[in-house]
Amino acid sequence: MPGDSPGGALVLSEVAASTAPASRSRNIPYVSLGIITVFVLLAVLAPLLGLADPFNQSLRNRFKPPVWEEGGSWTHPLGTDRLGRDMLSRIVWGSRVSLAAGVVTVLVASAFGAAVGLVAGYYGGQVDTALMRMTDATMSFPVILLALILAVTVGPSFTNVVVAIAVILWARYARVIRGQVLTLMHLDFIAQARLAGAGAWRIITRHLFPNTLNTLVVLVTLQIGYVIIVEASLSFLGAGIPPPTPAWGSMIAEGREFVTSAWWVSMFPGLAILLVVLAFNLLGDWLRDTFDPKLRQL
Amino acid sequence: MIRFVLSRLLQSLVALAILSVVVFILARATGDPLQLILPMSATPEDYAEARRYLGLDRPYLEQYLSFIGHAVTGDFGMSLRARRPVSELIRERLPNSLSLAAFAMSVSLAIAFPLGVLAAVKKGTGVDRAAQVIAVLGQSLPTFWVAIVLVEFVAGRLQWLPAAGNEGFSSYILPGFTLGWFVVAGMMRLLRSAMLEVLDSEYVKLARVKGVVEGKVVWVHALKNALIPVITFAGIYFAILVTTAIVVETVFAWPGIGRLAYEGISSRDFPVIQAVVLTTAAIVAVVNLGVDCLYAVIDPRIRYAR
Amino acid sequence: MRRLSRGVAVFLLALVLAAPTMVGQAWAQAKPDLTIALSSFSTETLDPALGGHLVKYYLSMMFDYLVGTTLDGQPSKDGGIATRWENSPDYKRWTFYLRKGVKFHNGDDVTSEDVKFSIMRNIGPRSTTGYAGPLRTLIQTIETPAPDRVVIVTKDPTLIIPTYLSRSLSTEGMVLPKKYIEQVGDDVFARKPVGSGPYKFVEQVTGSHIKLTAVDNHWRIGTPKYKNMIFRLVPEETTRIALLRRGDVDVADVSRERVKELEKESFPVHFRREESILTMWWILGPDGLPAPMKDKRVREAMNLAIDRAEVAQSVFAGKADPAAVPLGLSWSFKDIGFKVTPEMAYPYDPARAKKLLADAGFAAGFPLDVYAYQLPGLPEGKTFAEAVSGYWEKIGIKIKLVPVDYPAFRKNWVDRKTPGSVGYFNIANRDWIGTYALLEKMAYTPAKANDTVNDPEVDGMIAQIMRQTDKEKINTLMRNIYTRIRSEHSGMPIVYLHSAYATGKKLGKWNTGSVMYDLFFDELASGK
Repeated sequence: MPGDSPGGALVLSEVAASTAPASRSRNIPYVSLGIITVFVLLAVLAPLLGLADPFNQSLRNRFKPPVWEEGGSWTHPLGTDRLGRDMLSRIVWGSRVSLAAGVVTVLVASAFGAAVGLVAGYYGGQVDTALMRMTDATMSFPVILLALILAVTVGPSFTNVVVAIAVILWARYARVIRGQVLTLMHLDFIAQARLAGAGAWRIITRHLFPNTLNTLVVLVTLQIGYVIIVEASLSFLGAGIPPPTPAWGSMIAEGREFVTSAWWVSMFPGLAILLVVLAFNLLGDWLRDTFDPKLRQL
Repeated sequence: MIRFVLSRLLQSLVALAILSVVVFILARATGDPLQLILPMSATPEDYAEARRYLGLDRPYLEQYLSFIGHAVTGDFGMSLRARRPVSELIRERLPNSLSLAAFAMSVSLAIAFPLGVLAAVKKGTGVDRAAQVIAVLGQSLPTFWVAIVLVEFVAGRLQWLPAAGNEGFSSYILPGFTLGWFVVAGMMRLLRSAMLEVLDSEYVKLARVKGVVEGKVVWVHALKNALIPVITFAGIYFAILVTTAIVVETVFAWPGIGRLAYEGISSRDFPVIQAVVLTTAAIVAVVNLGVDCLYAVIDPRIRYAR
Repeated sequence: MRRLSRGVAVFLLALVLAAPTMVGQAWAQAKPDLTIALSSFSTETLDPALGGHLVKYYLSMMFDYLVGTTLDGQPSKDGGIATRWENSPDYKRWTFYLRKGVKFHNGDDVTSEDVKFSIMRNIGPRSTTGYAGPLRTLIQTIETPAPDRVVIVTKDPTLIIPTYLSRSLSTEGMVLPKKYIEQVGDDVFARKPVGSGPYKFVEQVTGSHIKLTAVDNHWRIGTPKYKNMIFRLVPEETTRIALLRRGDVDVADVSRERVKELEKESFPVHFRREESILTMWWILGPDGLPAPMKDKRVREAMNLAIDRAEVAQSVFAGKADPAAVPLGLSWSFKDIGFKVTPEMAYPYDPARAKKLLADAGFAAGFPLDVYAYQLPGLPEGKTFAEAVSGYWEKIGIKIKLVPVDYPAFRKNWVDRKTPGSVGYFNIANRDWIGTYALLEKMAYTPAKANDTVNDPEVDGMIAQIMRQTDKEKINTLMRNIYTRIRSEHSGMPIVYLHSAYATGKKLGKWNTGSVMYDLFFDELASGK
């Protein structure tokens, strides 16, 4: 009987399946998944890969080109950076930092945002209005400015980047989830659950939340890439993850002066970001198409 | 409807008020602007005098009330660094941000439109996939990197376009493209899914049955209806473009308010920081209100749900 | 028919080919503009009283100084409003004789009243210029016995008055129009400045540019070569270089690392050798240096651990030379007779450094915070801090890199919240008076939050210079100060930085001079 989860969870996808054209759910984006897996593995296994020390600087060896260029060698297959540190090692270790930044920020933002959206959508009325105005106020504060202010006040750090982005990103989730909940609230199974005596907590957690999970997953996937890109922009402005920690964004920022003379310093981390973010974006797109193409506002 | 607009306006004002408190606190947390204004040889007496002269020695509550009191009349005080009225600085630079955002918006739409329509019409094929990737590419590269690569190659080496400055239209192209490319993906997705929905609707099916040429079906009938959600979101994207242009403004030496905010934060210039944040928030609020009104007009269910 | 159309085509083609030359000729008639792209304008102010050093670049075009300066930093009778000056035997009265016939851009004459007004305003309560403080304590009154004569009366005998009011330091000596300012007020003046210099103000767009236009004929430079002078603020290096390549700007300051690629493409690059000294210091605590830097051996060790030659070669692309004396402003050395002997140069000796640390009881090293920030003229700031930290790590010191921006560092420095931690600055090189002024700020304990030396002996010597009017005695004192600072290792001198300014290929000869924060654009534009 539709109403109890997991039955409730099926409602939306049934609705979706009936109205949406048979989408590309068969065209699983293997390439994207592959790229993400590779980088996640690199990130997790970094300490075990026997790479050079990413912090070891040697001014004598600065700007060594990659192995296939003249002057390159296998000691530094992807060359060295401004301070003579091995690029390959920094890219692999950088994947830990950049991916962690993306994932942590998005998890924090989505948890809080979803909670707000669920509560706002469920209770409606004054609660909804108040929460939504708070959400609007939050969304109108530019992320980059907040990150800059934080960086200038307490100094740039990994935590600052996460906090600065998450503190504003949650509003997006809140808005979207609330929209979803509003639609769900009109459906019969909620009214039935109420009649059956279910309280707010039960309805939110067992009926509403599972039905928003799809949206959350899509949004989370799409936003990880966004966070990685924002971190790069913050590094450019001096508010990103600070040196000497290897992070793709700051590596590109550091190497941006040498686009023609020492292209590998910015090109390789740039390629890494491009691949990973592209992969997350395409995966997110596919997820959205599979779950509900109607989620057009994502 | 009027009540709806009014109540939303009121709520926006409340939101702005909350924001003003937040930004007031944040701005003052950044540090001491006098460190940068006064020379190294300044004595503690000089500091005290400067603090008094600039009104920074008053109790915080008084400073806040003074700030708010003046802000509602459009007076954001004097920039501590430039010693000029902040509203003047904003008036000087906001139009630059707005015009750049508008240009970027048109670039975005010009790219997103054909991609979105094509992808929808050729759904599931390689064309669809390719269009998706092209659109998403713009979101998968750090903006500053795109900007710098464009400056280095298109402006510096090929010398086709200016890297900075105000040579009129040609100066808009590189920064506008850089800024606009970032939101192409979102717009293209919107258009694609909206088109898909419309193309599958009864309305279009009827048109086809009536024998309307396929091209006309797509480009006239379907597009017309698919545009609605895109337009409502275009407003939001415009606000995003205005408020996140700081990186583009830095690389292309574009004197907009993003750069003004950065300078303000760097020099701990409280009035400037406060003014820019509130101005951009106001812009976003106005745009959101407009979008919500548009939505309410289109979809009455939402209106009554309030 | 075909013949005709072919003829038309040929005619049009000829027209198209000839057009550029015709236009070019028309262009050759009109005077070109000089466009300069700089990475920073600091406060971007147009009011000399609200100065800061970096604003000198454009303000010195709009305003005249009371005392001019030659290209190598000596006071000059040709470049300023004062054609000559003399001091009373007790060095307490300085009389300046003013040039006749100088007019402000609004037509008013420049008189002694303007000079008096300007000086008082530039050192007044609203002023934030670097040397206003010392001038305020020094100047008792200013007399204007005649329209072309100004007498400055000081409380103590002093030698510094002419130089402090000259082009070689900051903006205090700029002559402003009294009538105009009293008429329109400070705020309007700051937005529509009026001076008497060879270029007058046209417009400013903050964050973008400042445009000046030439005065037809000026006593400083005759008929200027450039119709307009436009200063553009372009923070991103790649953009500045792209503008230079495309010909949109004629002059751009470039980082040392990109000089090579520009030289390869035959862009003239002008170097200001030893434009600044990159010197590091330890932040003092409330009672001076904390342990472990309190121990002289630790200070020496930290100096010996740095391979200055390698830093100069790699971080600064070879456009730097190792420095031997902390706060050693070399443009003053000849004047004061100070010679840097080979013994003074710090060798690169990490072994000895480790031994010194062990002797001082720190064989296991100690934790140290190093601030990392960029500065105007030092885009390599963060990389540099990382590089030096690497050397210290190798002798056992546990470095924590603290990335900040300069204002945040300055706050910590001045508030003395983090004693012992390391900061740095690229201090602009200057003449002996400027050097004295700097030592009085950064090497002098009494009531100065910016002190970095905390040495009673140095304090005593600086105090003596203040009251000294015998140049020989001053020279001796300054030599001794430097000798002492060096022998006590009261700081860590790293390198002298050569700064690079790239120009368009057609710019021609340009002597950038050796005056701090001044590139002598008026010399470049001079029609004399």
